[in-house]
Amino acid sequence: MKKSNISKRKRREYLTAYAFILPDFLGLFVFVIIPIIYAFYISFFEWDFINDKVFIGAANYIRMWKDTNWWSAMLRTLKLTALYVPLLFGLSLFFAVLISTVKSRAGSFVKTSFLMPFAITSVIASTLWMFLYNEKRGYLNAVFKALGLSNQKFLGSGRQALICVIVVLLWINLGYNMILFLSAIKDIPESYYEAATLDGADRWHIFRYITFPLIRQTSIFILVTTTIASFQVLDLIMVMTKGGPAKATEVGALYIYDRSFNMMEMGYGSALSVFLFLSLLVFSFVQMRITSEEQGENV
Amino acid sequence: MKKEPVKIILLIIFSLILLFPIYILFMSAFKGPGELFVVSLWPKSITFDNLKTVLNPKFLNSIKNSLFVSTTVTVIAMILHSMCGYALARLSFPGKKLIFTTIISTLMIPTTTILVPLFMVCKGLGIENSYAGLIIPAFFNAYGIFLFRQFYLDFPKELEEAAEVEGCGKVRLFVQIVLPLSKPMIVPLTIAFFLGTWNNYLWPLIINKKEEYQTIQVYLANMVSGYSTPWNEVIATAASSAVPVFLLFLLLQKQLKEGIKVTGIK
Repeated sequence: MKKSNISKRKRREYLTAYAFILPDFLGLFVFVIIPIIYAFYISFFEWDFINDKVFIGAANYIRMWKDTNWWSAMLRTLKLTALYVPLLFGLSLFFAVLISTVKSRAGSFVKTSFLMPFAITSVIASTLWMFLYNEKRGYLNAVFKALGLSNQKFLGSGRQALICVIVVLLWINLGYNMILFLSAIKDIPESYYEAATLDGADRWHIFRYITFPLIRQTSIFILVTTTIASFQVLDLIMVMTKGGPAKATEVGALYIYDRSFNMMEMGYGSALSVFLFLSLLVFSFVQMRITSEEQGENV
Repeated sequence: MKKEPVKIILLIIFSLILLFPIYILFMSAFKGPGELFVVSLWPKSITFDNLKTVLNPKFLNSIKNSLFVSTTVTVIAMILHSMCGYALARLSFPGKKLIFTTIISTLMIPTTTILVPLFMVCKGLGIENSYAGLIIPAFFNAYGIFLFRQFYLDFPKELEEAAEVEGCGKVRLFVQIVLPLSKPMIVPLTIAFFLGTWNNYLWPLIINKKEEYQTIQVYLANMVSGYSTPWNEVIATAASSAVPVFLLFLLLQKQLKEGIKVTGIK
């Protein structure tokens, strides 16, 4: 009697659990898992979205291998990542440490100011910075002139455009990552610092041997998420430069978008997507391995 | 060791540099056509003409669409993810580990790499060019589920035990006791989902070609895509469209700062 009661209750718990999970599970299945499988499938076909799909085996991947435009685009993605990730990491950590040592009420104003650009959407930021970067009459050139520097082309220059995009990315995301670092720093017990100060450690030693090792989790999180995000920067570039001038900002993600939605080469676009997905997977795996190994050494 | 005043001055100077573009945005919205590109810190004559031109029905409609889409996505995502996260944390059932692993593994799939097939799936479901196409794919986010699960793992067991003794079923327990206590996770995730959906440009651009469902980001981006850009209107539109989120930001700064700490997502 009692036993059957329990099993009845268990069964009801199972049913409740499945009912609670089903909508999300189904949604993730249809809108995330099926698309990634579908991308893999389509990558073996030639398809312009209008006529029937034609199976072409690995031809899309062979084409990718020989497509110099694609590799230059991926090289630009790597360039963007190599510049943006360390800059964002270093700057947000620097300012987080600086703010954490300030006791004044000005700290609150500073935090809010740093976060303000985060409340601006990518598209607003893009249009605003296009205005500021304006070659002939923009505010940035006015500031440059006041500082005695020569007039710059900014987004119109093949050499500067990618850096200009990175500046906007930094402007948007600095405050957000700074706050992440700051809250990790604040979680470190005050007594650690006191003990270190008593032992005569200077500021650099405190940072190197206490703060930095203790915020490692946050550092890894920021490194991995920023790297993944930098592979996917698309909206800013689509609005500000559309890949120009002369392809100077045509990154991998934009090349895929262009192939798929403008040239209607769905199969080839999917093959490139699959490649980007797999390289991201390898990239973040390696990054996590490296950072966790370093952690092992320090403990 | 640096002295406190030096640090504060350094921080304030950098803050002002970060704020400068935002100031220019709002200030320039009040400049006349002849004056827009005259570099200055204050308009010679303040005009409301730009705002009158840009606050037209198309603009207002796109703001309305963005508000509707972002709110719906946020509310439904909160309901679905809290339920799912709760079940994964507190209920026992066969296949739990497999289901959890499957859900978490979708975190590794970046949205930009599935744009093409996601578009095809939605086209297959017949939800392109509609609110459904803008809204439904945006719900599903394993990170939201994961964070709710983590939150419920630390939930006090006593609450559920007491409820069980009183004969309260799992569903009622969740709705009446667990949900009201979930505010520390619901608030930051609400901000994150709302901002994330409001900010989204690519998906609305791809899935919807109809003007009546256009979101504000697509509307604004279209203004600068032509050969000649009407800068007075662009700046005034950008400034006006920034107002709703800015108000939200100023009202909820404390929760936002806390939220970043809790969720770590945009």
